[in-house]
Order: sequence, then C-alpha cells, then structure tokens
Amino acid sequence: MSMEVDWAPAGAARQTGRTETPARRRRDPVLTGAAIFGAVFFVFGLIHLNFDYGQLWKGTLAFVRSWAYLFPPNAAEWQPILAAALETLYVAVVGTVLAVAVAFVLAFFAAENVAPKTAPLVKGFVSLLRAVPTLVWALIFIVAVGMGPLPGILAIFTHAVGMLTKMFAQSIEEVDEGVLEALRATGAGWLQVMLQGVLPCVATSFLAWSVFRLEVDIGESTILGVVGAGGIGWEMANAMRNYEFDTASFVGMVIFAMVYSVEFATNRLKNRIRLRG
Amino acid sequence: MKRSGQLLEDLQKRKKRQIWLAAAGIVLITAWSARETDFSVVSVVRGFGEIVRFIGQDFFPPDFSAFRSLIGPAVDTICISFVAMVVGAVLSLLLSFFAAATTSPYRWLQASVRAVCSVLRNIPALIWALLLVAAYGLGTLVGTLALILTSVGTLTRAYAEILEEIDMGQVEAVRATGASWPQVIAHAVLPQFFPGFVGWSLYKLELNMRASTLIGMVGGGGLGFSIQKGLKLFQFQEVCVAILMVIVLVLTTEFITGKLRERLI
Repeated sequence: MSMEVDWAPAGAARQTGRTETPARRRRDPVLTGAAIFGAVFFVFGLIHLNFDYGQLWKGTLAFVRSWAYLFPPNAAEWQPILAAALETLYVAVVGTVLAVAVAFVLAFFAAENVAPKTAPLVKGFVSLLRAVPTLVWALIFIVAVGMGPLPGILAIFTHAVGMLTKMFAQSIEEVDEGVLEALRATGAGWLQVMLQGVLPCVATSFLAWSVFRLEVDIGESTILGVVGAGGIGWEMANAMRNYEFDTASFVGMVIFAMVYSVEFATNRLKNRIRLRG
Repeated sequence: MKRSGQLLEDLQKRKKRQIWLAAAGIVLITAWSARETDFSVVSVVRGFGEIVRFIGQDFFPPDFSAFRSLIGPAVDTICISFVAMVVGAVLSLLLSFFAAATTSPYRWLQASVRAVCSVLRNIPALIWALLLVAAYGLGTLVGTLALILTSVGTLTRAYAEILEEIDMGQVEAVRATGASWPQVIAHAVLPQFFPGFVGWSLYKLELNMRASTLIGMVGGGGLGFSIQKGLKLFQFQEVCVAILMVIVLVLTTEFITGKLRERLI
C-alpha cells in the first residue's frame, strides 16, 4: 500500500464488479491481444531476469533460518525507535497538510470547467510532480538541502501536490454545470461562483481524498528514512546494516502497527464521510 | 414548525462548532509536527533557492549518452514489476478463496490468511527488500520477491472482497438450470469476478512499476539502483536521464492500464 494511488481503490472493485449479463460476454480483440502479450511478456521477463533458482532455494532457507534471529524482537532501543516513528508521523502530517493547502488552490486552476485556459498547463505540471516517486524526490532534496526531516517533508509535499491537485480538479469537474450556470446568472463573479457554488459540492470529496492521501503519505514516510530523510526507515536500514535482526524485527513491528492503525482509523473515517456525503 | 426550526438551527450550530473544532485540531497537530521537525518557512525559502539551483544547473541538461547504459536497468524494472504482479496474482487467486467469508472452509483459516496478508501489505516493499537482501543477496531476485509479497498482500484482500460481493442469485439461477460445478464457475462466478480481478491486477502493476524503480536503492536491481549510484558518484546529469525514464515508464503504464480498464468496463 505504500506507493501512491491515483485511482481510488475502495470504489474500484465495486465499480468494476458490475458486469453485463454473463451470456452476452463479447470477446474484445484488444483485450485478448493484451492477454496474449501479457503471457508472452511474462515468459520473456522470467528469461530476462534469469533467476538463479538455486539461490532462491538457498535464500529461502537462509531467510527462514534468520527468523530465529528475528525473534524475540529486541526492544532495547525502543526510545530512539519510537522517537523516529513519531518523526515519521510528523513528516507525513506537515507534508500532507501543506500539500492539501497548495493543491486546494491549484485545483481551481486545473479544472477544465472553471479554468479552461490554465487547465492543460497546470495539469501537465502536476502530472510531472506525480510521476517522480516520493523517494526520488527525497533523494534530490537531500542533495540540495542536506539530510534530516526537511527533505522528507518536501518530498511528500511535492508528490502529494501532484496527486491531490489531479483528484481535486476531477471533483471540481464533476460539479453540475447547472449549479455554476445558476450562480453566474445571478451576476456572481468567478470567486463567488467558486466559493458559493463549487466549494459546497466538492468539500466532502476533497476531505476524503485528503484523508486517503494522509494514509498513503504515512506509508511513504516510513520508507523515506532508508535514504536518510528522517524517520523510522533510517532505524530499519541501520539495524539491517549492522545485522541486528532482532532490532530490525522490532522496527518492522512498529512500522506495521503504525501503518495498520492508520489504515484502520482512515477506513472508519472514510465510512463516516461517505455516510454524510 | 417552530420547534423543528429551532432544532435545525441548533443542529447547524453544532455542526459549525464541530467543523471549527476539527479545523483547530488539524492546525494544532500540524503546528506541533512542524515544531518537532524544525520545519519552518524560513528553512524552506532558504532551501528553495538551493533546490532550484541544483535542479537547474546540476541536473540539466540531461546527459543522453547515458541512455544506452540505462536501457538494461529499465527493462529489469519492467520485468520485475510485471513478473511480480503475475506471480502475485496467481498466488492471491488461490489464497483469496480462503480469505473470503463466502468461500473459506474454516473461519480461523479466513482470519489467519487475512492477518498474514495485512502484514504483507502494510510493510512497504522497500522494507521487505531490505529484509530479504540479507538472505538472498543483491540482485533482481530480491526486488521481485519483495514485490510479490506486497502483491499477495494487496491482491488477496482485493480478490476476496470481489468474491464476497458476488451475487449468489446469479449462481443459484445457473445452478437451478442443472449446470455442473465447472459450468457454474464459468457462467456465474467468473463473469462477476473477472473485471474486478483484472482491474485490481492492473492497478497493482502500476504500483509495482512505481515501487520497482525504488527497490533498486536497497539492492533490488533496476533503475533505482542506477539513480542511487549516480547520486553517490555526483553524476547528476546521468541521474536526470534515469529519472526521466522513470517518469516515462510510470506514465506509460498508467496510460496503458487506464486504456485497458476502460475497455473492461
């Protein structure tokens, strides 16, 4: 779940789950072609990657054996580890909140229906921000501003702006044209139309996307430390580098607990938002 | 009439107060987080000039002579994410029957499969790679395995949810015609299962593609390794080409999977 999502997973299954009547399933040549290509490519991929299956076997044995070192988890350094976990949360929160604020403004210039002139430009720009993974942004920012939480915040911010602007703009584009028309007819200016017409319609979905993004960003934030951008990932990389597997397993548990509780909390929050919206 | 008006007003007032409270809470948490991470607008502004200078001067122009040497890692990246998605999908397909409430033979089996998948899903692929490198050594094998693990975590839950949502009415209807078990599967279960199955698999392919560009950074092979290596050697213009290739890969995957998904629905 760690990586960015530009396609709402929650609704996705439900949406695609609806199908035409089973008897009348037509064969789509493109889909068939894609399936055949996929099969061929899978074989090609296996040949190309040229796995050493002996290594796979040996590695699995070694991995299973290393479980003995993983347990019991070593919580001796719980203080710095928990501090790092908190830092991970801080980085995610600051980055996401800033991104929500910026994306909120940008989205109004990225939606085709309310800002047709600037939409293509802003959309192209944010898709660039989105296409570079958060971790790569972090690497770039580390070289520019040094290690620590700052490059992490900037990386999360940059990527989240890319995604949130797109999602926010999509919500704005879904606003009923009639609502805008009605407001314009009263002589309202652009800003007034936005505040009185668009904002009430999109508030719920903005909120839902922001919550969703926070969830993704906390996941992202846990791995930023691996490259030195602050947070718990650093502790994990450190423990593994020193072959302290028992500490690593403790860090892994902390990460799991963090991400899992966030997933749990946001699921409940999303349900509440959905009920209200 | 008057009473209900009063009620409505009260309700609105309460809602307004709730919104303000929530907003204040968010501001407070953000301010606290910013303080704890020494984040300030000053440091951003000061850093911003450096970032612009760094990206503008050191990264550009991209050194396209490096392109040839990056094709190999790029193909690795594509192969890793695709193979991992396919293997993950096959494994998840088997597991999802045990993870769905409607098809699982035992309640405890369902709970434990779900728990395992939740662990697989909630620990990021990069961390998995980090854990696996110690056992399997550097290389594409580690990257593929790490992505398989997260794929199983995500897809098993997704498939299980599709299975749970299958309309049993249709299954009953087909069964009532005297259809055999394979016929029931082929005519009632598969048509309902298939679109969601492909949709989620494609979605995971997208995620894998993004993740696989990173896994190289901890020794899983692919473009991530080239980026990490280039940054360490200060070959920024080469890194720039690698990042551009990541962008192209990610956007192309997004485009193709989007098109396929459109055709599916």
